[in-house]
Amino acid sequence: MAQARALSRAAWARENATEFVTTHVVNIAGGLLFLLLVVFLLWPISAVLVKGVYGPEGLTLQFYEKFFTAYYYRSFLNTLLLGVLTTSVCITAGFCIAYLTTRGPRFLRSPLKWLTLLPLIAPPYIFALSIIMLFGRRGFITQLFNLDLQIFGFTGVVIAQTLAFLPLAYLIIENMLTSLDSSLEDSAANLGASEGKILRSITLPLLIPGFLKGSLIVYVMAVSEFGNVAILAGRTPFLAPDIYTIVTGIETDFHMAGTLSMFLLLPVAIIFLVQNYFYKDKGYVTISGKPSYAEPRRIGWLILIPMMVMASIAIGLIVLSFAVVFIGGFTRIVGIDNTFTLAHIMDWRANHPLIGSLRVSLLAGLFGAALGIFIAYAVVRGKFKGRGALEGLCLAGFAMPGTVLGIGYLLAFNSPPLLLTGTMIILVLNSVFRFAAVGMEAGITKLQQLSIEVEEASRNLGASTPTTFRRVVLPIIFPAAMYGFIYVFMTTMVSLSAVVFLTSPAYPLVAVFIFQWAQYGYIGLASATTVKVIAIVAICLGIIQLMSRWTGFSIARRD
Amino acid sequence: MVINDVRKSFGQVRALRGVSAGIGRGELISFLGPSGCGKTTLMRVICGLTKPDAGEIILEGRVINDVPPDRRGIQMCFQNYALFPHLTAAGNISYGLQVHKWKKEKIRARVEELLRLVQLEGLGDRRIDEISGGQQQRVALARALALAPKVLLLDEPLSNLDANLRVHMRATLREIQRKVNITTIFVTHDQVEAMTISDRLVVMNQGIVEQVGTPVEIYEKPRNEFVAKFIGYVNILQGVVKDTSDTNGSAVIDTELGESEIAPGDSRLSRGEKIYIIIRPEAVRIDTGKSAGQMNSFPGSIRSVMYAGSTVKYTVAVGGKDLIVDEYDPTTHGIRGMGERVVAEIPRNVHILRADSRTSSGAPAEGG
Repeated sequence: MAQARALSRAAWARENATEFVTTHVVNIAGGLLFLLLVVFLLWPISAVLVKGVYGPEGLTLQFYEKFFTAYYYRSFLNTLLLGVLTTSVCITAGFCIAYLTTRGPRFLRSPLKWLTLLPLIAPPYIFALSIIMLFGRRGFITQLFNLDLQIFGFTGVVIAQTLAFLPLAYLIIENMLTSLDSSLEDSAANLGASEGKILRSITLPLLIPGFLKGSLIVYVMAVSEFGNVAILAGRTPFLAPDIYTIVTGIETDFHMAGTLSMFLLLPVAIIFLVQNYFYKDKGYVTISGKPSYAEPRRIGWLILIPMMVMASIAIGLIVLSFAVVFIGGFTRIVGIDNTFTLAHIMDWRANHPLIGSLRVSLLAGLFGAALGIFIAYAVVRGKFKGRGALEGLCLAGFAMPGTVLGIGYLLAFNSPPLLLTGTMIILVLNSVFRFAAVGMEAGITKLQQLSIEVEEASRNLGASTPTTFRRVVLPIIFPAAMYGFIYVFMTTMVSLSAVVFLTSPAYPLVAVFIFQWAQYGYIGLASATTVKVIAIVAICLGIIQLMSRWTGFSIARRD
Repeated sequence: MVINDVRKSFGQVRALRGVSAGIGRGELISFLGPSGCGKTTLMRVICGLTKPDAGEIILEGRVINDVPPDRRGIQMCFQNYALFPHLTAAGNISYGLQVHKWKKEKIRARVEELLRLVQLEGLGDRRIDEISGGQQQRVALARALALAPKVLLLDEPLSNLDANLRVHMRATLREIQRKVNITTIFVTHDQVEAMTISDRLVVMNQGIVEQVGTPVEIYEKPRNEFVAKFIGYVNILQGVVKDTSDTNGSAVIDTELGESEIAPGDSRLSRGEKIYIIIRPEAVRIDTGKSAGQMNSFPGSIRSVMYAGSTVKYTVAVGGKDLIVDEYDPTTHGIRGMGERVVAEIPRNVHILRADSRTSSGAPAEGG
């Protein structure tokens, strides 16, 4: 009797526990995800920043004092200016092109779009290579027109960074413009506003959240993704290459690196806060009613022509750069011995790092997409406190300059229990946590479209939370996961700023190799390897496209 | 305002296939039709957002086809209101005035006046997402009226409101329209809404006009089967004229139900002619057998019952044909049961369609 009661009590407890887990599984998962983000984002970042104020004798401001000596301070101002200039040009050109691809002449839309997105599949410093080959002392254009150009320095850096990160600005603005209800512009026209007035008073103000988001991303990339900067800066100091030198140089000084990181981060943090807190409530979506499906009005010539000029310059330079890097990959020594050769393409030194990068990028893409989707689900469907913090932390990882996160990983994971330095895991983890936000954002958008009733219906039919997630939610957010995968994969293939601190001889990465070759002046080898990276990324995207057509899963971001 | 034979195609789709209509000053005219009938395209043509392939829009005796949208004096209220989300209610209303470079004081006075007109006094400083759907609707109306246009276009303005608010806004809209005395074109697919609010209706289908007339004309004398069905008639009987009598102007028709005697009104019928008799559901009387065997009474049984408070809608199977019958005041009459044997009596005074007048567009008629 007593035994039977004990048995039933055990069964009851077990059942209760199952029930508890079922109902709280999202919240528990959310907590675990939060813990992961704390370990792999918050801790490394703090580790870097603490170094800046904590010397051998305890708390100190001596490194900050040193910062304000002429050299680093100038470096900071240069970086600030670089970021601001690059961001302004990217946002302006990105807006012009996005306006053209959403409202411009129909036949131009698709070609403009794909050409603008081209730099995404190449390492950002492809533009440093192309600028050297075009405008350098022995560059094609320099020799053709017999010019005397000084490309090493501020101008070259800004041009290269602008071309490299234009697609990021374009993508965000284009997305905003597409979702902007065109009846707003129609209605302003109907009230008598001219094209220019509509642009000024309706379109541009409504795009402000998009501009802020674009600015944040472009600024971070421009100041931290330092391939172009290091190759083209010459004697002009910038923070990110300075940090690189301090950390990898002869006299490694993590304290100074921490201090410089703080100043690299400061402007980013300000934009981040403005965007996420000041402007959060001002996100304008369609207020009510059905969206209008009417075709947007035609653009007037007065607006069309300046935009076309802007777009042509940007896209012309992008295409020219790709062409010249391709040529460079098959030229013995650009500018000196312009004869065709297959030597660079056949160079065996590129093979090992290419395979390494591909492996790391595929793994990072897979886990990055999965992490992003899980966080998205926890944020949208969870009922625990701190969902906002979870989302914010994930976004902060994305907004973090890669340089800072790279050093952070170096500092945080070089001792037990998490001794990861020199492994492949650290490379994968770094990319996963840095870019998970992309999959998360796409996932959140999808999940918000999917009404909770659909999931409740599934649960009502007897499916458990994990089953519901697998059978109902996953198919619907699959496009978001795919988008996250593509982004993380592509960026990991070509990004340099974080992994340059974490790579080791056993796990070489192609981005780091190309960067170093370019710095040593092996332009041909760097170009040929860049061409290979572009080809690999393009082939992978093609396979994904084929697979998605084959399986019927859409990879389009909006549908 | 005159719309003269307007045509518009989008690729293969012929959205407007020759639409003509005249609108008097201060009149509220509704363009009514199922979705995809070309109403919205016509609106966009009228206010100049879309260029017609052929035809003319004439306003006050002047062809305005080539007048740009902002100089036509025609204001459109969009279906989704298209309110500027980054401006306040007052900011939205004053947008057109600012564009036309009005003086600050004049703008302020005009906005106050308009807010009063649409009963939104004191809400001018609210952001658009801080006011209700009905209030947003009124802001959109005030914004459209701000420049005192000659013609106001309302594109399904009430379709985003819930049922009760919709009825209320209908009255408000009509009241404001009368007060301002503005020529108004109202687009809707809701026949009740169109009938209650308008001076006249234009029933459209597949890019052409099926019928123009006052709500009474349209309801009592639909010109063809499409209009009849769209406006809410459900009982359409096929028949052949068997006999006509000159003494009392009635005719005997051999219908699907059996022989019935009707008064065809002003339409002259000839023997042997095929016609359609259309009967409003509320005009059919049913009872439990008193009138059996009389003229126009047919025995049948109740196939379905739908209770709607003030009325009960019955489907009565008579022979092989279903008749839809509305009976008012069920509280007094009681509700009949399923399968109950009844006698349905159709009225003598009915509207008649010739066999060749199914629709003007030649398209299959589908009820609305």
